[in-house]
Amino acid sequence: MENLLHELKGKVIETLNLIDVTPDDFQVDAQLVGGDLGIDSIDVLELVMMIEKDYGVVIDNKELGEKVFRSLRTLADFIHQNRSKS
Amino acid sequence: MKARTFITGIGMITPVGTGVHEIAAFIRTGNKEIRPLRLFPSQTILPTGEICLPFPDDDIPRTHRLAIIAARDALKSSRGAVDAIVMGTSTGGMSLTEVLLKDNETDPQKYQYHAAGSVAEYIAGQTACNGPVITISTACSSGTAALAIALELIRSGRAKKVLAVAADALCRFTYFGFHSLQLIDPDGARPFDQDRKGMTVAEGAAALLLESSENIPENACAEILGAGLSCDAYHPTAPHPEGKGAYHAMRRAIEDAALSPSDIDYINLHGTGTRDNDLSEATAVNRMFGNKKPFLSSIKGAMGHPLAAAGVIEVAVSAICIRDGRIPANTGCTRPDPKLALMPVMKPMKHPVKTVLSNSFGFGGNNASVVIGPADENNNSASPAPKDSLKVIGCECLTGAGRTDATLSRFLNGKSCKGIFPMAALSENLPPKLVRRLKRLPRMALSLASSLQKNTDSFCPPSSIFWGTGWGALSETYDFLSKLFESGGQFCSPTDFIGSVHNAAAGQVAMLFQSKGANITTTGGDYSFEQALLSADLLHPAGPDESVLVMGADEHHEKLSHLFDDSVSRVPEHSDGGGALLLKRADAAGGLTISSRFYERADQHPDIIPALIKGLGGPERIDRRFGAVLVGIPAAHRKIGEDQLREFLSRTGFNLPVIDYRQYSGEYASASATAAVFGIRLLQSGRIPAPLAGENDILLQGKGILLIGTGTFVTAIELLPS
Repeated sequence: MENLLHELKGKVIETLNLIDVTPDDFQVDAQLVGGDLGIDSIDVLELVMMIEKDYGVVIDNKELGEKVFRSLRTLADFIHQNRSKS
Repeated sequence: MKARTFITGIGMITPVGTGVHEIAAFIRTGNKEIRPLRLFPSQTILPTGEICLPFPDDDIPRTHRLAIIAARDALKSSRGAVDAIVMGTSTGGMSLTEVLLKDNETDPQKYQYHAAGSVAEYIAGQTACNGPVITISTACSSGTAALAIALELIRSGRAKKVLAVAADALCRFTYFGFHSLQLIDPDGARPFDQDRKGMTVAEGAAALLLESSENIPENACAEILGAGLSCDAYHPTAPHPEGKGAYHAMRRAIEDAALSPSDIDYINLHGTGTRDNDLSEATAVNRMFGNKKPFLSSIKGAMGHPLAAAGVIEVAVSAICIRDGRIPANTGCTRPDPKLALMPVMKPMKHPVKTVLSNSFGFGGNNASVVIGPADENNNSASPAPKDSLKVIGCECLTGAGRTDATLSRFLNGKSCKGIFPMAALSENLPPKLVRRLKRLPRMALSLASSLQKNTDSFCPPSSIFWGTGWGALSETYDFLSKLFESGGQFCSPTDFIGSVHNAAAGQVAMLFQSKGANITTTGGDYSFEQALLSADLLHPAGPDESVLVMGADEHHEKLSHLFDDSVSRVPEHSDGGGALLLKRADAAGGLTISSRFYERADQHPDIIPALIKGLGGPERIDRRFGAVLVGIPAAHRKIGEDQLREFLSRTGFNLPVIDYRQYSGEYASASATAAVFGIRLLQSGRIPAPLAGENDILLQGKGILLIGTGTFVTAIELLPS
């Protein structure tokens, strides 16, 4: 799980081109969208693509997205649970 | 008596029918014509509004084919060519381009219909129109914005007979793009329904023949009464949650028609079926009309959303509603969302309709509304106030040599400014957070805008923005398509899709300056900036208080530029850049003014140069008013451009300096925006320096500078001391 969290930090930074953010800036339980990192709804859709492509996990509606993208930890949990199912 | 604008011809091709007769039948029934995608293969089959075209796609892309069907239909009872064409489109030739690129086609000739501007040029060629051909590309509001410009062309007296057209074809680009934004309802669009889940991507075209007349023409079926434009300046794609921009567009359109909200009998809503659009639009309608709402419906649950074409299709539908005394159903909605406090017309109705408000909203926070009425009524709107010329408040350019000062120091010494300004240097004046999602073209636009803000004395943020680009955001377009091809449409980038629309950069600049007036993007190859300036002059209000930003820029893209722009493929050194002008109506003497004086299509127009000379007031005025000519001769049209220039010089006897500016700027579509800045700076200095003039400096002695464009169009912009 810690490995996945660490990996996700790097992937989020790379996918969203967060050029002035380092992995250490991420608080894993902090609000991910609309928080200090400046991540918005378009970024969420970009992350949806990355997660489906890299982990085979589909997040195809807004309601689910709102739950999953609450924090980096909820995202990692969701990926972990759904990846292990398949 | 003032000139009024009548609709005297209607042509349409849509998923619910072709031609007025079939559309009238659709209005009576409200039939839904949304079906699973068939046009191209996809892993995910979603519903679309697809049109069955009689022949398969070959050399002419689908948008062009749809557009010409609608145009011919609208012109079928008309004699003679129209004076001007104003087109709204977002996809242009993309349906063909995406297939060619996927097949690694490297022949530039095959891409001749790629440009969004090529659709209107194709119609102009087919219908022998010589006049201005303007293409508006403001995503889903394009068609309605095109109508607003067409209306002003007539009101200003620049044209008597205008064809307003809008078209967009279904293609992989839009289908997978909207899918990547999770904006497609898998059950088909259900506008204003409580369970709505999104839109349905569709295609179509409509054309309206608009004629200026003091009296009501016999064949008039409706009158365009007013138009209103606004920009949310809020978000690249999401509408303002309280519908502020939508409210202002509706209010401006109703005011422009000299009416009040209670005069509106029916609103043809934008109503795409997305959660956000319908909420935003409903909020705006509630604010505007309160408890006295007119009849309301969106037809996008029946035909889907034909993107740029939607506005003109819906105005055409509204004109038929007025003629027939009918109101179309809000097909697709079974349980109106109580949160929207808005009750659409659930079934087709027979009811007299006089005045209709039609809404279109698009990416970039672009909003446009039009008001139409019956042709047999009096029109109480006032004659338009005469507008003063636009005065230059500030200007900036960007070239391979760098920003304005670096560029000018080379240009004035007769040295080349060709090349590509590095991205890192380009982004130096932009906050990293602001631009992390933006690629080259929007960064160029924002960088020009930021320089203008920094370097202009008494800078006041512009209320409206007019942006010309020949090719749009090539980096975003290429990257979007690359991922689409790699993943078979499964993993497209929503960021690239949003950024790929031609008006994305103008939306970014609007957010930077909070510019909430008109936000217009024009595109027409080498004449895109000229179109932006002409549109600004037509639409910017008459008062001296508000400023307007007129910009033009194009990026060089390693893979695409030489395929799309024949001028680029003909020169060894690649260049890009652009220019930005902050303008105001001139309320007092002093400074210098800029105006678009001539803009006509040169193909099939043997007397274009005499027409240009006449448009400029004749040889005597040209000699008296101008001390130099800056001429743009695109490399792809070198021969014809040189011939046009030679004819101009021989007919006028003009013997002062003529500067072939692309020798300095390099080849890119909006080089004329850069040249406008060259001209302004030369005029401000009062002289043409020897390296540009010949042996000695030439003093301008109170004369102005003429900026001429040659090639497939001939254009003239005047820069004059006021």
